[in-house]
Amino acid sequence: MKKNVILKIDNVSYRYKDAKKDEYTLKNVNYEFELGKTYAIKGKSGTGKTTLLSLISGLENKYEGNIFYKNENLKKINLDKYRNTYIGIIFQSYNLLPHLTALENIMLSMDISNLKGINKKEKALSLMESVGLDKSLANRRVLKLSGGEQQRIAIARSLSYNPDIILADEPTGNLDKETEDEIMKIFENLAKKENKCVIIVTHSKNVSDNVDVVYEMKKS
Amino acid sequence: MYIFKNSFKSISRNKGRNILIGIIIIVISCACAVTLSILNAANKIVSSYEEKYQIKASIGMNREKLVESFKESSSGEDMINSFNNIESVTKEEIEKYADSKYVSSYYYTYTLNMNSSNLKEATDSLVKETTTTTTRTETFGGGNYPGRPDGNYGGKRSTTTTKKTEEIKNLKAENGAFKLIGYNSYEAMTDFINGSYTITSGEVSSDFESNTCVISEELASLNNIEVGDTITLTSPKDSKITYELTVSGIYKENTEDSDDMTNMFSASVNDIITNSNVIESILALSDDLNAELNPTFILTSSDVVDKFSEEVTGKGLSEYYQVTNNLSEVESATESINNVKTFATTFLIITLIIGGVVLFVINMINIRERKYEIGVLRTIGMSKFKVISEFVIELLVVTIFGLIIGAGIGSLSSVKIANSLLENEIQNSTSNVEKINSNFGGHMFGEGGPQNKINGLVTIEKADSINAVVDIKVLGELLLIGVGLTFISSLASMISIQRFSPLEILRERS
Repeated sequence: MKKNVILKIDNVSYRYKDAKKDEYTLKNVNYEFELGKTYAIKGKSGTGKTTLLSLISGLENKYEGNIFYKNENLKKINLDKYRNTYIGIIFQSYNLLPHLTALENIMLSMDISNLKGINKKEKALSLMESVGLDKSLANRRVLKLSGGEQQRIAIARSLSYNPDIILADEPTGNLDKETEDEIMKIFENLAKKENKCVIIVTHSKNVSDNVDVVYEMKKS
Repeated sequence: MYIFKNSFKSISRNKGRNILIGIIIIVISCACAVTLSILNAANKIVSSYEEKYQIKASIGMNREKLVESFKESSSGEDMINSFNNIESVTKEEIEKYADSKYVSSYYYTYTLNMNSSNLKEATDSLVKETTTTTTRTETFGGGNYPGRPDGNYGGKRSTTTTKKTEEIKNLKAENGAFKLIGYNSYEAMTDFINGSYTITSGEVSSDFESNTCVISEELASLNNIEVGDTITLTSPKDSKITYELTVSGIYKENTEDSDDMTNMFSASVNDIITNSNVIESILALSDDLNAELNPTFILTSSDVVDKFSEEVTGKGLSEYYQVTNNLSEVESATESINNVKTFATTFLIITLIIGGVVLFVINMINIRERKYEIGVLRTIGMSKFKVISEFVIELLVVTIFGLIIGAGIGSLSSVKIANSLLENEIQNSTSNVEKINSNFGGHMFGEGGPQNKINGLVTIEKADSINAVVDIKVLGELLLIGVGLTFISSLASMISIQRFSPLEILRERS
């Protein structure tokens, strides 16, 4: 594995439980991801982009082949710990908890990752600021925020425990062009300034034009 | 810590559902508090009865085996021989049986029939009185005595009675006119304990070894005997064998119906009460004398009755004997309480089943509604265990609140409900006793009726009140029920959370 490679997908194949024997969603996928770079995974619908993302994020672990995070096989590590410490996930539909405020959503993530020795509230507010959100929105329930604001909260949440990898599934799919550019700027900064590995699953040409590496997926 | 914080937040967020769960828990815990306090009080009453009246076992003849044995006998003589060949239970055997973990104490009573050279039996005069009474009745044209099968008491009949009296007298003389009863401890003297007999002069010798006795007032009066006098007993088999006893006390029999004709035939006036040591000394004088030995074992609890019986049989009790007990008497006396217990237990089980099912269903709905939340929490790395814990804590907090309120209401209402239930049971029990009384002619035993003489009510008072309270034990049981209900109703969330795939949940949502 190269020096900067943080995640390696090694000959991974996957098919759904109810699929026929040879009907693979993913077949022999081999990718490598490095710190400090942004990646786009492109492809038509049904090519397995989101499936690959769920395998990388450890939400699904029954697949053929191996995925390594820092040389450690995901099949052999605690995936809850992996998700709440090393990897931040951002969804197209944000997946925030609607009954919590913006601040509480970010802080809950820190609680789950068992962060100690920091002022969680201060860190959450600083994260909000870093993703371009006004602090006055901190105590507002997320459902009362716009799509762009919710997505920024989701990004702030994913960064709250300082993971190495940011996985984003169509993060700008529900947003306008202007907001998309702003979000992409945040991702770029995360990779370049904070040395994160940002992996974006997208359909958007604008997104794929603004990343360092593009992986295109085709039907197997 | 954040799990607790989230749980409390969820409780306030889902007020409607939690209030509904709380109301159900209050109803369940209130019903449980009432039934548990009733059960608790009833159990206390039953155990206090058992403690007060003790579970006793004794050894008696096995009638079925005897009948079976007699049927096999070819003649009457064989029958008598086989009966005579049955060996009596010995004192050594009793001691062996008493050496058991099921026995807390034991005592025994000897019964030996003897004659006396200086005592006249009391029955003589009483029978003569009876004869006189029946003759006088004829003068009034044949009275119809209630309770008797035939009300025609004519002159011929009184002649027959006199003849029979002679026959009885001779028979008694052969077998011994006086019943010498020897106790080995105060505990064995149940007639004195329950008040049937009372000492009117002197005392019962406390050493249970001295050559002393107590006799009835009638016997003392008829023979002009006072405390300190000596009586001489003779063997019915051989009048040369004698034994002297000093009268240490005189007792009277406390029968409520002294005028009742049935008492005239009672032989208890001729009972001479002494200690077991005296009887053993008399028995040592002649091999022809046979005493009946009746042991009583005080058992540690009602649960060991069968075990003790099995143990005694295992230790070699003859098949012609069997272990009997007073369990049915004690149970009969606590029947009304046991009825309440059965009702309370059934009610408790039904309440718990219905309550458990309702809570389970509500939780299933709860989980389905909060599927998205579970999906998000799992996606951002919360473990299944922590997600389940959050749901369980949430339910547990609501359950504990419900339990506290329910237990409070339950404790306030338990006494009233319990006594109301018991009142009905006591009334049912009383009407049963009246029915039995009526079966015996309604006044066979005079005022008070057979409830003082029938089926275990002889010595055991009926339970007529219950003091149901929610005490520490009940609260402990309620807590266990609460935890149990929480666990059962949480099973829905546990199973669902285990089976949920966060990815699928979020995909469905999208």
